[in-house]
Amino acid sequence: MLELDAITMRFGGLTALHAMSLSVAEGETLGLVGPNGAGKTTLFNVISGVYAPSGGTIRFGGQDVGALPQWKRARVGIGRTFQIPQPMRELTVRENLRVAQRFGAGKEDPAALDEILDLLGLAHKQHADAATSLALTEQKALEVGKALAVRPRLLMLDEVLGGLEMATKRTFARTLETVRARFGLTMVIIEHDIETIKALCPRVVVLNFGQLIADGTPEAVFNDPQVIRSYTGDTPA
Amino acid sequence: MLELILQALYSGLLAGGYYAMIALGLALVFGTMRIINLAHGELVLLAAYVAFEMERSFGWTPLASIPVALVVVGLTALVIYLLIGRIRQDRELNSLILTFGIAIVLTNLILMIWSADIRSTSNSWFMDGVVLGDTLFSMRGEVIFCVIGVLLLAATYWWLNHTWQGRALRAVASNRDAAKLMGVNPARIEALSFLVSGVLATFAGVAVYTASVVFPAVGHNLTIKAFVITVLAGMGSVPGVLLGAVLIGVGETLTTTLAKPSLQELTGMVIFLLILFLRPSGLFGRKGMVKK
Amino acid sequence: MKHRMVVLVALVLAYGAVPLLLGSMDYVMSLIIAALTIGGVALAWALLGNLGGLVSFGHAAFFGVGAYTSAILVVDHHWPVLLAMVAGGVGAAVASVATMPALRLRGPYFALAILAYGHIFRILAVEATSLTGGAAGMLSIPGFPTLLGINLASKTGAYALILTIVLLFAWLYGLIRRSTYGLALRAMHDSELATRVVGVPSTHLKAAMLVISAFMTGVVGAFNAHQINFLDPEYAFASSWTVLPIAAAIFGGYRTVWGPVLGALVVFLVDQLVFKELMPSGHQLVFGVLLGGMVILGPHGLLPLLGRWSKKEASHAGA
Ligand SMILES: Nc1ncnc2c1ncn2[C@@H]1O[C@H](COP(=O)(O)OP(=O)(O)O)[C@@H](O)[C@H]1O
Ligand SMILES: [Mg+2]
Repeated sequence: MLELDAITMRFGGLTALHAMSLSVAEGETLGLVGPNGAGKTTLFNVISGVYAPSGGTIRFGGQDVGALPQWKRARVGIGRTFQIPQPMRELTVRENLRVAQRFGAGKEDPAALDEILDLLGLAHKQHADAATSLALTEQKALEVGKALAVRPRLLMLDEVLGGLEMATKRTFARTLETVRARFGLTMVIIEHDIETIKALCPRVVVLNFGQLIADGTPEAVFNDPQVIRSYTGDTPA
Repeated sequence: MLELILQALYSGLLAGGYYAMIALGLALVFGTMRIINLAHGELVLLAAYVAFEMERSFGWTPLASIPVALVVVGLTALVIYLLIGRIRQDRELNSLILTFGIAIVLTNLILMIWSADIRSTSNSWFMDGVVLGDTLFSMRGEVIFCVIGVLLLAATYWWLNHTWQGRALRAVASNRDAAKLMGVNPARIEALSFLVSGVLATFAGVAVYTASVVFPAVGHNLTIKAFVITVLAGMGSVPGVLLGAVLIGVGETLTTTLAKPSLQELTGMVIFLLILFLRPSGLFGRKGMVKK
Repeated sequence: MKHRMVVLVALVLAYGAVPLLLGSMDYVMSLIIAALTIGGVALAWALLGNLGGLVSFGHAAFFGVGAYTSAILVVDHHWPVLLAMVAGGVGAAVASVATMPALRLRGPYFALAILAYGHIFRILAVEATSLTGGAAGMLSIPGFPTLLGINLASKTGAYALILTIVLLFAWLYGLIRRSTYGLALRAMHDSELATRVVGVPSTHLKAAMLVISAFMTGVVGAFNAHQINFLDPEYAFASSWTVLPIAAAIFGGYRTVWGPVLGALVVFLVDQLVFKELMPSGHQLVFGVLLGGMVILGPHGLLPLLGRWSKKEASHAGA
């Protein structure tokens, strides 16, 4: 469904992604891990069209989406969340979802919004101001809600479970699993917690200094010496 | 025909000298504060009317009224600076509306005090012809103020590059926070940039009064001209301002010679839009006017 | 329900009481018509500012283009006046398309680029002599027809016409603002990234607001041309058509639908009835003071400012 070929992203002198190739199959849930600054968020930004890569191609559902502007990527079915929640200011929670649905999915469907709000436990807060009146968990849930309202085929979650308490994290992870099954999503999840990754993702890739250094089942990947070394701070040869 | 074109080039060059004075004041304030002072042309106009008043009431030559104009315009510039300081949010856009309002106030004050009549110096010494190489004609006033303009520009350039204050000003322009860490007080430097801009406006105003004509609506046109030149120069390069000014000056006189005078203003506007769209960082600069 | 009542009473007053009480005073009616004309432009300006997030210093351009388009269609091509006025709006909308490259400029540069367009359109109107009559202008532009038994060319008729135009525009503005388009536009100011990533084509929406704002301004410009039956470039593209609406919108609150219209009524009538008497030349100074004052005292205009004060007082009273 998603095929990245030799994606390179440079910021001035810094190369955040280094000729990176990756493919994600339809219906797969992929864990994306790696130390801070490895380039995970940058990869999402490139796929969702926030940045134009310095080189390489992005194919989604068989189509080359590299030239599509950001807003059209949402419309072809790429949904994403932001590591730092980005609610639409001045709007309520429900209005946030309405905008995402109207423009991302193409038409308004109040029943579908109700379902998303229910699934994410936001129903009671739907008329609250999105930017000022949500707790951290609710802000993260809204991030997911906006992405879902777009009716994506691919959902990319950037540390939506980060910073949550262990118990909350487990509940939220179960919610994500429900959501995935309900909407038949392909997912890429950035997450630091190994237990969560093991619970959610049959396949994991590891990014370090803008390069993929491992790809496989969680068991195989987290026992890979190279991966362990990358977390203890060694630079690649 | 060639003679006419040469004459147009020459006149445009001379006009460029005092256009540069007008534009540099605007560019300096823009550089330090990221603020486009839409009342800048009115400051220039104010100086022109001070010169007019001194000449009418006391028979002073325009050059002698420069000190008086410096005080009047300098104080007005400081008032504008203080008012801008009271803006609390979205300074970039609100300052535009604020200075737009100040420009309207100044224009109408000038209208009330000095009426809508067209004024220019009655001092014939400035209007005497000066002929260069038998063919190129100009008025003495034009030549004098072109020279003054170039000298002032050179002085400002030197000041920016070789004095502590000038360097502090450039530091604030390029990175406010870093400048603070270096012990520079940005507020004081901003006030200073407004004062220097007032000084430049004073000389420019006396030049406009002596070498051309003034009436209340001229201020608005001067602001636009200054802004056009600043955009051409790429916001904040002194040699760029001079080149941009000459380009506009020559563009205008050539339009007058080759097409017709009524199209003169159009030339500036079209050059301006072309630059904005095709080379938004200006001909000689780097700073972005385009989003992101 | 209460809201409906207020609207109903306001409509009855506007369409009934005002003409009945003031209809015989030509001068007063002229002033109110002029104030509503400015109010219409102020509303269009505020729509662009509030929904599009764009400050324009060049609405005089759209006003002038609308006025000339309509006048030329009626004089040279014998179009019916009301239809030509709509065409005037379309003309201004088309002109706004020419200004669209400016949309990629940051705020202040957009504002000034539009100002430059205003000057260019004015110069073009002077130069296109065969079309516009050049600097000499167009004289005896036909006035409004009689419609449904109402003579729109009378002062009362013209008042009813401009009132209807302004009300229609306000209704349209409200409609857009409440729609998902309006929500997306509102969110765009502070959260452009968040809106784009869910599929909002922000630049297109801004462009659409520019077109709508230009259309409205053009229609009002056309109304004015047929109301005063005369046009010349200096007048049709005068900076007053930019300055007064901005002052009115900022004074009344450009974030509200009604603020700009009420602002125009207050600002223009006070200016004409008080300041013009006190200082015959230079009374526009007041607009400058107003703009500066509003920016420093309350950047969102008087209506929200009043709201804030009354809220403050209420909370004081409660404490
Ligand atoms: N817009 C940007 N400009 C410059 N450097 C950036 C930008 N975005 C990310 N980077 C750099 O790219 C590298 C990867 O960052 P990021 O993708 O955010 O890492 P992470 O894997 O923690 O999400 C970092 O060194 C970061 O500083
Ligand atoms: Mg990250």
